Amino acid sequence: MHLLTLIVLAPFIAAMVIIALPDRARAATRLVAITGAGVSLAGAIATILQYDLARGGLQMQKVVPLVPSLGISYAVAVDGWSLSLLLLTGIILFAGCWASWTVKDRDRDFYVLLLVLSAGVFGVFVSLDMFVFFLFYEIAVLPMYLLIGIWGSTKKVEIQGPLAPFLKRLDIGGREYAAMKLTLMLLMGSAFILVGILALYMAGGGKTFNMELLRGNMVMSRDTQLWVFPALWVGFGTLAGLFPFHTWSPDGHAAAPTAVSMLHAGVLMKLGAFGVIRVGMVMLPEGAQAWALVVGIVASINVVYGAFSAMSQKDLKYIIAYSSVSHMGVVMLGAATLTVSGWNGAVFQMFAHGIMTGAFFALVGLIYEKSHTRDVASMGGFAKFMPGISVVFTLGCLSSLGLPGTAGFVAEFLVFLGAYKSAHGWWMLPGILGAFITAIYVLKATRQIFWGPFPEGRFEHLEDARGTEWVAISMLAVCLVLFGFWPNLALTGVDKATVEYLSRVVGTSVAAAGPALVP
Amino acid sequence: MMPLALDILLACILLLVFVVDLLLPAEDKRGIAVVACAGALITLAASFVLDVQGTAFGGAFVNDAVALYLKRVFLAAGALGVLIGMDHADRFFPRRQGEYHLLVLSSLLGMTLLASARELIFIVVSFELMSMPLYVLAAMRKSERSAEAALKLYLVGAVSSVVTLYGLSLLFAAAGTTMLSGVTAAAKAGNPMVVPGLVITLAGLGFKIGVVPFHMWVPDTYEGAPTPFVAFLSVAPKAAGFAALIRIFIEALPGQKATWAPAVIVMCVITMVVGNVLAIPQTSVKRLLAYSGIGQMGTMLLGIGLVTPDGLGMLLFYLVAYLFTNMGAFAVASVIEDASGSDHLDAFKGLSRRNPGLAMAMLLFLLSLGGIPFVAGFWAKVGVFVAAYRAGYVWIVVLGAVLAVVSVFYYMRVARSIYMERPVAGTEGRVPMALSMKAAVTVACVGVVGVGLYPAPFVETALAAARALMG
Repeated sequence: MHLLTLIVLAPFIAAMVIIALPDRARAATRLVAITGAGVSLAGAIATILQYDLARGGLQMQKVVPLVPSLGISYAVAVDGWSLSLLLLTGIILFAGCWASWTVKDRDRDFYVLLLVLSAGVFGVFVSLDMFVFFLFYEIAVLPMYLLIGIWGSTKKVEIQGPLAPFLKRLDIGGREYAAMKLTLMLLMGSAFILVGILALYMAGGGKTFNMELLRGNMVMSRDTQLWVFPALWVGFGTLAGLFPFHTWSPDGHAAAPTAVSMLHAGVLMKLGAFGVIRVGMVMLPEGAQAWALVVGIVASINVVYGAFSAMSQKDLKYIIAYSSVSHMGVVMLGAATLTVSGWNGAVFQMFAHGIMTGAFFALVGLIYEKSHTRDVASMGGFAKFMPGISVVFTLGCLSSLGLPGTAGFVAEFLVFLGAYKSAHGWWMLPGILGAFITAIYVLKATRQIFWGPFPEGRFEHLEDARGTEWVAISMLAVCLVLFGFWPNLALTGVDKATVEYLSRVVGTSVAAAGPALVP
Repeated sequence: MMPLALDILLACILLLVFVVDLLLPAEDKRGIAVVACAGALITLAASFVLDVQGTAFGGAFVNDAVALYLKRVFLAAGALGVLIGMDHADRFFPRRQGEYHLLVLSSLLGMTLLASARELIFIVVSFELMSMPLYVLAAMRKSERSAEAALKLYLVGAVSSVVTLYGLSLLFAAAGTTMLSGVTAAAKAGNPMVVPGLVITLAGLGFKIGVVPFHMWVPDTYEGAPTPFVAFLSVAPKAAGFAALIRIFIEALPGQKATWAPAVIVMCVITMVVGNVLAIPQTSVKRLLAYSGIGQMGTMLLGIGLVTPDGLGMLLFYLVAYLFTNMGAFAVASVIEDASGSDHLDAFKGLSRRNPGLAMAMLLFLLSLGGIPFVAGFWAKVGVFVAAYRAGYVWIVVLGAVLAVVSVFYYMRVARSIYMERPVAGTEGRVPMALSMKAAVTVACVGVVGVGLYPAPFVETALAAARALMG
């Protein structure tokens, strides 16, 4: 079987098997889910091993026509970018399946939706056909509604915004509000994406949706590119937490169950950023160049605003959620620089942030399960009872603030370097400011939760992670350090793809930079 | 093979059903539905086996690719409609169930004839043959609500027939012949009577398919009429209305499109907006589906308004997707209504615990109505929007995409009742389903998912038919 198709189908097949299982087979359900996720992860690793780095470009292509008269085909391939992102998805999905071990209510449905969603994510990263890309994108976004609505935390989410009175009258509140807000905002983004994709399709004469074929025969005037690019930018950007369309993300992530937050913040938001770069910028070079300044400014706002918001939160999950908004800003900033190091940094930040935030949400889930609170102010001195958790959490924090030796450092360093080398050198400043504020709030949170004074009489029953709970957090922690010390594992491939795609955008060939920068 | 073979076959089955009704004892008439359903299916199968292409009655009757495609849609809708109504009819009006299925089939015969009609009087007669049985069917329950629904349907139907007739008479006055080819010639010669005739005909047919501003009867009728019948009513007669529109406007008067196409576009945009917005506050699922159906009609009408082969082809394909989706959704509503006596959103609460299979099916139908990928409705919506984009209506694509998001909001409210709420006290038990209903819902699900996963054959046939018609 074609390896990429296997990666995409494995979670889906696992979901189908789980549907066929009897209601009570809890262990079997988990086993099947973990097997499916494991096959995908193994497939992602095998893809990396099989990929010919020296040759670069698109490899393992497979094309199966679906609707010939509209030019829609199932076309998949990998490049250097999708290699890392496939690996990221595999890791997070695998870890997420382990982290959901404790889901009790309707666990079968939970795993089915989780796996279907992941199949969508894998599909997006390997699709060449924009239409199929869009299909997979929707599959990745929509199960979220049920996942948050049914299994989300029961904590109240405050209804805000212009529609609030209306929504309250319809009796929609709490996690259902979060679920609905997330779904509707992301679907609104999809509407923009669809229009953008159709514009690209028509520019190619309405014969194919395949991005590689389109590139050859696409004629799109600068004026058209100037409005199509923002459609794709806002559309995909909504999923990437683009300011001011990020408001679904804190509510959604805070209300979602652990594994869903992990996948959503860890992988799904990357779909948005990946879409902006891969479809928006690479397909519309002139539009990307003209809008780069705006993209960069909005990304700067994202970085700083997200960090400040995170600093003012009291709920641990909201802190992590807003930090995601800030870190996704770094990704978009890297993309806006239109430089090799900027793009390398953006893609590597997707990877590093995915692992880091996945680890964070897994940890928050554990802490909440044990202490039954997410209010940071009421915690303190947890390190005494949960040493393992506190070590991993601190490691995540260090990566979050970009300490050398962690994956976060490599990514942020590359982005800032790209910003410095770009046409707008000052972009470095908001980036560094963001990293600085991040350092404040993550260190504050860590100190309060793990090292502060222990509140008497409330948390005596606390204990460290046990058994299956270790799997997710330990593998994510290992990845954080591994890719911090040895970023070239991912960067070599990323750099190959960056050089190729960036030269299409800027019109001249650009020199590879990655290996020289990261010895 | 003669072009009329399918219609004659259907008429024979109609008579057979009549005879079976006479022969069966009054206590148990369930066999009739089986005969009717099998009859529609046999005719459907025959449409694939027999070669019925060609014309009859000197060109007044034609079986071209479009007619054949529409006939298949009608026959599938008829077979599914009979299947959905089988149990309901047996439980609520057992002695008259023969009439029920007989009337469904005669309405079906009117539709199949209408799809082929290329002559004004032929169009009117087959339209009436289709409509008359519907009025009776709406009143089948003999309850006050059912009678009200039937009366509304009848009055609106009668008025719209008169209006259509008046419009067609103006076209006749212009052409001097009842053949549509004559109307085309008159339009080409620039006869001034053509334009008013066109406009009035458009209004009359607008009533039939329930587009804004002629939509008021739709929610009331859907709410009161027997739900299995609504499943049929919401799809097949609408498709027949489109058949008439295609024959008169696209086939006979494409040269006048500068006159009528903008009007159709305006109607379809208003319909999309009004249908989707008014669906939001509904708490009755049948009314919600009625308003959402109005919105869907707006999207489909776009296929006419574009006057391109792509648009027409996508309209034809949309009908297939809509057939499975909407009939399936109303079938589920019927099951719930028969089980709990209400179609309020509350009656759907906790359905995922009371009948997981049914809940899953409803979710699929809602996804398809909302235009979500990998179910049939997605391809239909995207297809129409691609056609609109190709014809240069970018703003309609944007509007349609935004409205699709709005529609997801109210479909999600139903999904939320089903999946996220606990059952209302007193309705905790499992929702029972008759075997025939299980079969119907399964068929609809298979249709929705099948077309969603592999739309190519349906799309290709539809596009080929449209291209053949429009050259």
